Amino acid sequence: MNVFIGQILPYVAVTVFLGGVTWRIWRWMIPQIVHNITLSPWPKSWSAAIVWILWQLATFWNLLKFDRPLWFGAWFMHIALFLMLVGHVLAFYTLGLQFHILVPGLITPELSLWLSFWFGTVLGLIFLLALLYLLGRRLVNEPVRAISSASDYVHLLLLIGIATLGNIMRIFPEYQVGYIPVREYLAGLFLFQPHPMPDSLLFLAKYTLVMVLMIIFPFSKLMHSFGFFWERWIINRPFHEPARGLPGAGVQLPK
Amino acid sequence: MSEANGLRQPKRATADLFLKLGVVPVPDGEKAAAAIGHLDEFRTKVRSFVMAMESCVKCGACAENCHTYLGTRDPNNIPAGRADLIRKVYKRHFTVQGKLFPGLVGAQDLDLETIEKWYSYYYQCSECRRCAHVCPFGIDTAEVTMIGRQILFWLGIGPQLHTATSGAILKTGNHMGLTQAGMVDTLDFLSEEIEEEYEGLKVTFPVDKPNSDVLYIPSSADFMLNANTLKGAAMFLQYVGANWTMSSRITEAGNFGYLMDQNRVMREMVTRLMEETTRLGCKKIVWGECGHGWRATKMYVPTMSDMPASRKIPMTHIHDEVEAYVKAGLLELDPKRNARKITLHDPCNYARACGHSDNMRVIMNAVVPKGAFTEMRPNREANFCCGGGSGILFDDKKMYEYRILASNKKAEQVRATNAEVLCAPCSICKAQLYPMVKEHKLPVEVVGLVDLVGNALVFRD
Ligand code: HEM
Ligand code: SF4
Ligand code: SF4
Repeated sequence: MNVFIGQILPYVAVTVFLGGVTWRIWRWMIPQIVHNITLSPWPKSWSAAIVWILWQLATFWNLLKFDRPLWFGAWFMHIALFLMLVGHVLAFYTLGLQFHILVPGLITPELSLWLSFWFGTVLGLIFLLALLYLLGRRLVNEPVRAISSASDYVHLLLLIGIATLGNIMRIFPEYQVGYIPVREYLAGLFLFQPHPMPDSLLFLAKYTLVMVLMIIFPFSKLMHSFGFFWERWIINRPFHEPARGLPGAGVQLPK
Repeated sequence: MSEANGLRQPKRATADLFLKLGVVPVPDGEKAAAAIGHLDEFRTKVRSFVMAMESCVKCGACAENCHTYLGTRDPNNIPAGRADLIRKVYKRHFTVQGKLFPGLVGAQDLDLETIEKWYSYYYQCSECRRCAHVCPFGIDTAEVTMIGRQILFWLGIGPQLHTATSGAILKTGNHMGLTQAGMVDTLDFLSEEIEEEYEGLKVTFPVDKPNSDVLYIPSSADFMLNANTLKGAAMFLQYVGANWTMSSRITEAGNFGYLMDQNRVMREMVTRLMEETTRLGCKKIVWGECGHGWRATKMYVPTMSDMPASRKIPMTHIHDEVEAYVKAGLLELDPKRNARKITLHDPCNYARACGHSDNMRVIMNAVVPKGAFTEMRPNREANFCCGGGSGILFDDKKMYEYRILASNKKAEQVRATNAEVLCAPCSICKAQLYPMVKEHKLPVEVVGLVDLVGNALVFRD
């Protein structure tokens, strides 16, 4: 079992994830943008369009403007998720020394470990709370409940499961799994030189859930992370107005 | 089948009408399979449709931002719920998860009952695109509505109103079925009215005048219901000394094809437009007050028409031209003539699809006295639809009641401004707002914007 989850499933998950995402995007590229259906006021140029799209991405601007309660849950959840993903990569790669490596003059290795620990813990808690809030909203808010199907809850529960396990491993010292055994294990996967998984049931459970998430990702609404760009590329594009003025009229506009 | 399961549905067109539009209605037993076939074609053609199908997260941000849901509290009128009527079927047939776990992801087979729901809910959507404006991804449910309506049309299902109107377009070149003789009569009458109202001012309305520089496309409703709009446009064009004409073959700023059949009927309208500019020797097309029709022209002609003229002919809206003349200081205007407290309804197609929020305000501020104009909130591209968008101006009892419900939000907005005049420069808005004002007991008069321009212009000889 451990061999399957530790040494086989990861490759399956990564393959399904990358292959699935590529397949979905490839299928989006087949249909065309038939007519210019940009939303006005439209951007004046392509660069303005891109700035607007990135602004929407970074701030969840539309939610902030039109659905403030949702923005609270959604923005904090996504920001925490994004920073934690980055944090995972950096912390396991540098064993928690990422801040020291970034600003060596100011931050000692000890301080970096401390920062890494607190950043991770706080973000993990924000992530979990935001997810619980979103779950509550989905159950309580009448229209949202009406448009939800079972899978919408499954995604939230899966993320809540991952977040809860992660938080337990972080907050309770007796369940902690250090950076080093994880890095050794992951390095083994990358180098195709199998190395045993860290010996922890919690780690096993969380790790399995993450791989399940990766496998369902391309076949679920989680593809919205890529869909965002494809949809906005259709809806936020420039349009060029024809010149004003009536040919042949007695009163002409100044040139 | 009619009025299936107590659904709100507009009166249907007969098979006969469909045959006249070149559609052979599909028998009930074959409808589902035919519809799936069409969906399969659309998903390889229209990306906006595929993205709406595949990237909604069911966050519900669109719900409270759609006037149809606000008016009815019906979950199928939530934009995401409306799209779901097709999305469920789409998932079942075209996605891995829907094929393997239909129950889990909410995928469903298509049956006649669902097709009846399509007919009900795709004709409650006004294609106003407020959902696209507020959705964090920009998912445009109007794109789904358009495809829903197109498939229904191919199956032989559509409202009497849209189908008959499309028939009238093909026959006479306008929605109202006006003939050239009838048109000239009405226009003579309008000339006389202007003469009486403005101290002997002589304004002519040329029709089919060869070698005109400008082709003006009025809404056919302006010949009867909104005559002041047509008068205002003619007065402006005469004021600046334009060499202009209307065409009796395309006396229609609207385009019901765009609202139901974006293939044969919409293309026919576009083709006529190009033919007439060539026939009458025009160098520019100027559009009258009509929201959906202007979008269908401004945004779709470049990619839809393959007539030679479409590559060359510039097209603007009358508001664009008036705005430019106002800004250049070339019009002498007397705002005191429009001295009542006024508010402006931004037609959805102008504000969210055609980039018109500014020009309407430049004009408004030039033709009414300082302080007379109050904005309603929200406004511009965040404005709410009047409730009649996409031509859902049905008269049958249930649908009429629906129209009034769908205008609840608009009525609330108008009331809050305390205005005496409601300016709504779009034919469909006007046709919706006349009854809305009555049913909601709002003490306002509904007018167009060019009306006010005509009224304020100071003619000197
Ligand atoms: C480009 C990246 C992304 C963008 C712009 C984005 C944007 C959004 C937005 C605007 C919402 C709607 C608000 C909400 O319901 O919370 C949403 C929902 C959601 N997102 Fe993302 N997202 C991104 C990436 C991700 C990723 C990578 C995941 C998870 C692996 C994810 C998981 C979710 C989930 C589970 C929901 C539903 C929340 C709920 O049920 O209320 N998102 N996303
Ligand atoms: S706002 Fe957009 S993503 Fe959210 S439910 Fe509506 S259509 Fe779907
Ligand atoms: S286009 Fe307008 S009416 Fe239709 S679903 Fe969107 S917001 Fe509602």
